[in-house]
Amino acid sequence: MAKILVFDEKCVGCGKCINVCPFNAITLENKKAVIGDACVMCGACERNCPFGAIKIERMQGYEQDISLYKGVWVFAEQRGGETAGVAFELLGAARKLADRLGESVAAVLIGDVVSEQAKELIAYGADVVYVIEGNDYENFSDELYADACIKLIEGHKPSIFLLGATAYGRSLAPRISSSLETGLTADCTVLEIDRESGMFVQTRPAFGGNIMASIVCPARRPQMATVRPRVMKKPEPDFGRIGSIVKFAPVIEMSPKAKLLERIQEESFGVSLADAEVIVAAGRGISDQKNLALVEELARLLNGAVGASRPIVDEGWIDHSHQVGQTGRTVAPKLYIAAGISGAVQHVAGMSSADFIVAINRDKDAPIFKIANVGIVGDAAEIIRELIAQLKSS
Amino acid sequence: MSNDIIRYDIEEYVEYMRDESRIMGKADSISFPKNEAELKRVLEKLAESKEAITIQGARTGLTGGAVPMQGHVINLSNMNGITGLRYDGDKDCYFLRVEPGVLLSEVNTAISKLEFDTSAWSAESLEALKLLKASKSRFFSPDPTETSATIGGMISCNASGAKSFKYGATRNHIESLRIVLADGDTISLKRGRERIDGGILRLTTQGGREICEKLDVYNMPHVKNASGYYLESDMDAVDLFVGSEGTLGITVEAEIKLIPKPGCIYGVMAFFPDQEKAIDFVESAKALESKPAAIEFFNCMALELIRANMYRGHLPDIQRVDPVYHTGIYAELHATDEDAGKGMLKALSALIEGCGGNLAEAWLSISKHDMERLKEFRHAVPEFVNSIIDERRKGEPTLTKLGTDMAVPNGFLRTVMRMYDEGIQNAGLESVIFGHIGDNHLHVNILPRNMGEYDTGKKLYGEWAQAVAEMGGTVSAEHGIGKFKVAMLRKMYSQAALDSMMKIKKIFDPDNRLNRGNLFG
Amino acid sequence: MNIVVCVKQVPDTSEVKLDKKTNTIIREGVESIINPYDSYALEEGVRLKEKLGGKVSLLSMGIPAVKGMLKEAMAAGADEAFLLSDRRFAGADSLATAYSLYLGVKKIKAYDLIICGKQAIDGDTAQVGPSLAQKLGIPHVSYVISILEASPKKLKVKRLVDDAYEIIEVELPALITVEKGINIPRFPSIEGFFRSEAEEVTIWGADDVKADMKHIGLEGSATWVLRTFAPSYEKSVNMIGGSPKEQAREAIAALVDAGFIESGREGE
Repeated sequence: MAKILVFDEKCVGCGKCINVCPFNAITLENKKAVIGDACVMCGACERNCPFGAIKIERMQGYEQDISLYKGVWVFAEQRGGETAGVAFELLGAARKLADRLGESVAAVLIGDVVSEQAKELIAYGADVVYVIEGNDYENFSDELYADACIKLIEGHKPSIFLLGATAYGRSLAPRISSSLETGLTADCTVLEIDRESGMFVQTRPAFGGNIMASIVCPARRPQMATVRPRVMKKPEPDFGRIGSIVKFAPVIEMSPKAKLLERIQEESFGVSLADAEVIVAAGRGISDQKNLALVEELARLLNGAVGASRPIVDEGWIDHSHQVGQTGRTVAPKLYIAAGISGAVQHVAGMSSADFIVAINRDKDAPIFKIANVGIVGDAAEIIRELIAQLKSS
Repeated sequence: MSNDIIRYDIEEYVEYMRDESRIMGKADSISFPKNEAELKRVLEKLAESKEAITIQGARTGLTGGAVPMQGHVINLSNMNGITGLRYDGDKDCYFLRVEPGVLLSEVNTAISKLEFDTSAWSAESLEALKLLKASKSRFFSPDPTETSATIGGMISCNASGAKSFKYGATRNHIESLRIVLADGDTISLKRGRERIDGGILRLTTQGGREICEKLDVYNMPHVKNASGYYLESDMDAVDLFVGSEGTLGITVEAEIKLIPKPGCIYGVMAFFPDQEKAIDFVESAKALESKPAAIEFFNCMALELIRANMYRGHLPDIQRVDPVYHTGIYAELHATDEDAGKGMLKALSALIEGCGGNLAEAWLSISKHDMERLKEFRHAVPEFVNSIIDERRKGEPTLTKLGTDMAVPNGFLRTVMRMYDEGIQNAGLESVIFGHIGDNHLHVNILPRNMGEYDTGKKLYGEWAQAVAEMGGTVSAEHGIGKFKVAMLRKMYSQAALDSMMKIKKIFDPDNRLNRGNLFG
Repeated sequence: MNIVVCVKQVPDTSEVKLDKKTNTIIREGVESIINPYDSYALEEGVRLKEKLGGKVSLLSMGIPAVKGMLKEAMAAGADEAFLLSDRRFAGADSLATAYSLYLGVKKIKAYDLIICGKQAIDGDTAQVGPSLAQKLGIPHVSYVISILEASPKKLKVKRLVDDAYEIIEVELPALITVEKGINIPRFPSIEGFFRSEAEEVTIWGADDVKADMKHIGLEGSATWVLRTFAPSYEKSVNMIGGSPKEQAREAIAALVDAGFIESGREGE
């Protein structure tokens, strides 16, 4: 087991370690630092002690000199020559983190012919774009992309690596983190550098959205995190920015055993929930499956998409692809109208970052009213009927 | 207008003019009193006009009991508090005090989580809650399918569900009632205290009126019943009011009994290749020493209905059951602990096999999650019937389903099932049959495809009612008579019995104001 | 086909609540259930076994009480169950969990396919499946909603990504994670129940699987929870009263104010 030691002869009792310990594990006894049970050996005290009085003895073969790792990286997901919006959002977040750390920002771009897209990434904040190009990389492949990223990371040692929590991102990131034996935090909503300890803190919802957890990865690098699209703000591009493009050609010995045969764009996906600026969502409170027609009509009038809470998806009233929530889709529209939705934490976790929320529910104590801008206590179907009638009449 | 306790802008309250029977009624005004004092104010305002008053809960009834035909509507949804808890050491029972507008689902959730809004509870209630939290789990056993029904509604029609086979209907679980009469006077009834003895009803109202009346006791069918007033020559007065469909008084408070929850519950869904064998299984299961807490029946058409509509939602997959097993029986086992439960299951399994069922195709639900899934499966039949009727109504707006709620005494089950099957087959109608076969209580739902079939079905229904009455059964085992089964009530009881019921009505509501149209037409 | 299904017991997160004083989850009185996605995984495994022959082995990591859940899963068609249970496994993040499961799979030895649920409803990370595949050096396909073809050498599957379906062919041995909607899990049968009563769940401690202590449990975790807190949303709601007509009118006015609807649309 690893051990943490305080060298009494070096310790002067300045208390700096107490200030930087994020776990409140250190106390002063007889003017000497004493480390208690809450210690998880994150190393903040070791790093910050001006007198070198604290030392963590890590186990053989598991040590990593984290000081060698520098740089905030972003995986620039792309498909068919188009970079995913989340990549730009992450570059914005990466820029803020890098500025705090005094480090640089890089993007990792993998695909068939992608050099042109690299310039765009620089405009959005990348100082360096690592390009891995080739026919083999045309379609997303967990194994291939993971192998390439791992080799790139091993060579360049970034401190932080961010990926979009898209379907591909959430599948790719754990292969990388698992191989590198490092930490990965999924679906982060906040990424920041802690003022006192200088640690990279990643915050995310857990237990179905009931609780928020702030996570750190103190001893391993790179610190990896995925972030859902539309959670971070897309920065303003500056096409005058200077940055460098570095081509990387990893030697890949293996040949991927999973092959994409076909991609089917479904018509029913309609106005994509992920992109919609307006969403009208229905829950059990609309009383009857028939009333979905009203929800659809209101959505049409407002140029929006139709969303749903889990209960009506489970009932079979509407397809799973419309489900918003912890186990459905996370959305961040400008306007979200929740009709007959109680506001259970699982649902709220999927839509709380909407700019403006209108909630309609029969129950005045429904939790949805806690997060709404405008609340109406009433029968959802009836209110929607009224809204449609009044919108149409003008 | 809407600030006044009586609301006259009745056109804003269209949805309150009907219940689940889907028939539209009409009224002149409506009120939503929040407590007994407000209720009495409403009655005061209506005292002069002596107009008719219809009482409503959640309007989930199926026979028009809450549908107004004229006059004023008092909706009790705002009287929805759980106001206290009492522990009776002699009976080792907990009694929960509730207002009539509380939903069954709210009561169930509160009891299972032991979470109540105790802000207005007395010290005695808080003590009782502490005791309850430290003791074995309890539950309220009446389990009608519609959990959004109010307790007041359940009391009105003596509601029952699958578990009533073992634990009895709502009446068995009411300890006391507080009732407001049409003239604003109040009665308090407690089990064992106010009584009918030798046919003589004795009680005193809060206003001081002494009631002492000799009632003409009539024979009630010896079956699970929700038709007409419950009357025996020696009984607790509180039982008279349960199942009286709001015709005698307005319940403003009730104490409901909480019984110990079994330590181990299993749900079994067995499938049989033969309806007769399925009935054999039911009869032998009923004869078991540790009999099931519920026994439910699904005929082959009911299972076909689920099979055909499987794509809707996430119901347990009946399509994987070999279609040769076309009749289903659900049995729920309640035991004190796992060992006892396994013993019950072994005994039941032997019966299943003996009657041609296949244990590899018999479903077993153990976890709470699986029990929920199985419950949804069982409730799917009436729900699918409703959807199909709604579809058909698009082409034929006056179409409704025809559902029966008849129960027969022991020994008549096979007879009545043969009667149903033959009648439907001869008339060439589409139907499903399901229900509480443990109580010989089956719901026959006819799904007419056009008005011609509707009329044929209605006629068949009338013939069955006659036959069932002659067998000594009931035409309404759990839904109540309401307004739309009044004719059926008249088939079940003699004129003398009906006169006796009218006499009881006159004692408490001489001007026939409360729920006019219910029971008596 | 030898199939390993990874299952986790989780608290029913639709029932958990936050203790506002300690900002931790109150698990007391909350039922423990099989992770719903894992029940889809189990059902898919049993169906494959029924089609191609072979066996379904359950692998789980948890407290000894998880045995009950595994017995129920055997009643629903699994042939054997292995539970990694040891205090030293506790406190594991997804990295340490993947390593522990990797040890379990290695001890089971013969496998053609590993099936996991897409994510656990308490952690919600969806990381363990792909991490396990990487450690085993096998390919994986996530978000499978249908297995189109299956043979001892490969699978052809349909999976759901953000805005499309993809048809993927993968050589075995491989790992798949399954999405809701892939199947409807069956109930245990009475026959399966009595059969599972006779079966034992095999419990493995850290030594049984020759775990490297540096890599399991809290010690082997790369991430730690710094703190937990209640989600909070700084909003004060404007509740609109009145009749439905009035409510709709005011709501539209609010939307016009906020710029979602062009003004010049007056209701009456």
